[in-house]
Amino acid sequence: MIEADRISKTYARGVYALRDLSLRIDKGDFVFLTGPSGAGKSTLLRLLLRRDVPSEGQLIVGGRNLAELTPRQVQAYRRSLGFVFQDFKLLQNKTVLQNVALVPRVLGMPPSQQQRRTFQVLKWVGLQHRMSAYPLELSGGEQQRVAIARAIVNDPVIILADEPTGNLDPDLSLEIMNLFREINARGTTVVVATHDRELIRRVGRRSVTLNHGQIAELA
Amino acid sequence: MRALQYFFSEAVASLWRARSAAVLAIVTIAVGLFVLGFFLVLNTNLQRVVSQWSESAELSVYLNDDATAEQLKSVDEMVAGSGLSSRRHYLSKAAALARFKGDFPDLASTAGALSGNPFPASFEVQLRTDVRGATGAVDGFVTAMSGMPGVADVHYDREWLTRLNAVVRGMRIAGGVIVVMLALAAAMTVANVVRLAAASRRDEIEIMQLVGAPFAYVRGPFVAEGILQGGAGALLALLALAAGFYALRLRFGAAAVQATGGDSLTFLPVPVVAILLLGGMTLGCIGGYVVARRVR
Ligand SMILES: Nc1ncnc2c1ncn2[C@@H]1O[C@H](COP(=O)(O)OP(=O)(O)OP(=O)(O)O)[C@@H](O)[C@H]1O
Ligand SMILES: [Mg+2]
Repeated sequence: MIEADRISKTYARGVYALRDLSLRIDKGDFVFLTGPSGAGKSTLLRLLLRRDVPSEGQLIVGGRNLAELTPRQVQAYRRSLGFVFQDFKLLQNKTVLQNVALVPRVLGMPPSQQQRRTFQVLKWVGLQHRMSAYPLELSGGEQQRVAIARAIVNDPVIILADEPTGNLDPDLSLEIMNLFREINARGTTVVVATHDRELIRRVGRRSVTLNHGQIAELA
Repeated sequence: MRALQYFFSEAVASLWRARSAAVLAIVTIAVGLFVLGFFLVLNTNLQRVVSQWSESAELSVYLNDDATAEQLKSVDEMVAGSGLSSRRHYLSKAAALARFKGDFPDLASTAGALSGNPFPASFEVQLRTDVRGATGAVDGFVTAMSGMPGVADVHYDREWLTRLNAVVRGMRIAGGVIVVMLALAAAMTVANVVRLAAASRRDEIEIMQLVGAPFAYVRGPFVAEGILQGGAGALLALLALAAGFYALRLRFGAAAVQATGGDSLTFLPVPVVAILLLGGMTLGCIGGYVVARRVR
């Protein structure tokens, strides 16, 4: 599904965020990216989201070299992804329902189907009773569940999450991870960046440890 | 359709968030279009006055008091045969005096005190519209007429008409330049407001991009925002223009009609009003698109 072939990413002044990194993630895998701050976790996710391209090497997802996609192909590619960030990235001036429904709407799903699907995922994350609330009226854990609902509303093939539990306490973190596990159980590939080793231990999945942009450990 | 609804509801919300800047943009557009409209109204009415005046422009062939009937006849035939006149009319000395008395009743008593009638008889010749521009032919005709026996003088008011036309043309060019500059300023102001709005919608744009929304979907709200501003500006300009025009006409309209001898003043024709509205929206659309294009 995801194949990184000796990729490097340098920013200005020759700083290597990723260095000669090769990695393979199969369809249906659940992989943690971990490592110290500045190790390159977010950079790898940025490349996977195609917000940036590798300076060297090839990043192949679903058989396509991401660097070679046209802008329109980038759009199509991103529609097959779901993303979750530490800061939730919810729109403050829109309700929970509107935040989630935005995705099927801009992707042109028929209105009746949009609604059904949005209700379905909000119910699944346990927020059907808060649909008309605004993000700031929700707790951090609830906001992150909205973000997860939005990430899966479009039935993505891959979910990419960058520190999704960074702002949450351990119990809430595990709860969120359980949502990811459920998503993964249905066949979606899940990649989660976190520096929370304890959480990784409790979830008990494969982890890739980065350090200075290179793979330090595979477990 | 649903997409359009989305574009415009986003645009309205966004304009509301940046309402003071939006008002500035709308006023700028309105000022630009107001000036354009002002020139158009002026032009429409001047055009009418000029054509009315040209209509009444005539060539007067003044005759000697002692001109013989034969001379009169040959002058008349000469005018008729020139192919330049559309209408000609003989004004006798008595008729000239009567007309003077009618036009200037206050002075008439003085004229009456004069011994005899000082006004010469004349042929008043209306030139055909299509030969008015043919300066050479008319000049030749004037010279030929001047030399005829029995003719005292030939008077032709071409000079000032040419000058008036030049003034109107100059005004139109100056107006055009000013209008183009204002239009640019208006589009730039819209672009700035939309750019401001873009900054405040950055999160939303980022999310749109991350979920793979089509470009049209990401860009649509910006363009809609521009169109709304442009349309509002144009509407404002037209309202101000109409209000100003009708107020002035109420106050000075009668005097203007008397001074120019024309019909009453008119506002812009409906198609021009529609074009102004569309023009405002187009300006706004351009401003919005300039910003939207950068979003990918
Ligand atoms: N836009 C950027 N410009 C320059 N350098 C950058 C940029 N983004 C990241 N870096 C550098 O790249 C390296 C990797 O950063 P990255 O954000 O991928 O680390 P991370 O593993 O996500 O760290 P953290 O756990 O703190 O989130 C760091 O040294 C960082 O300073
Ligand atoms: Mg990071």
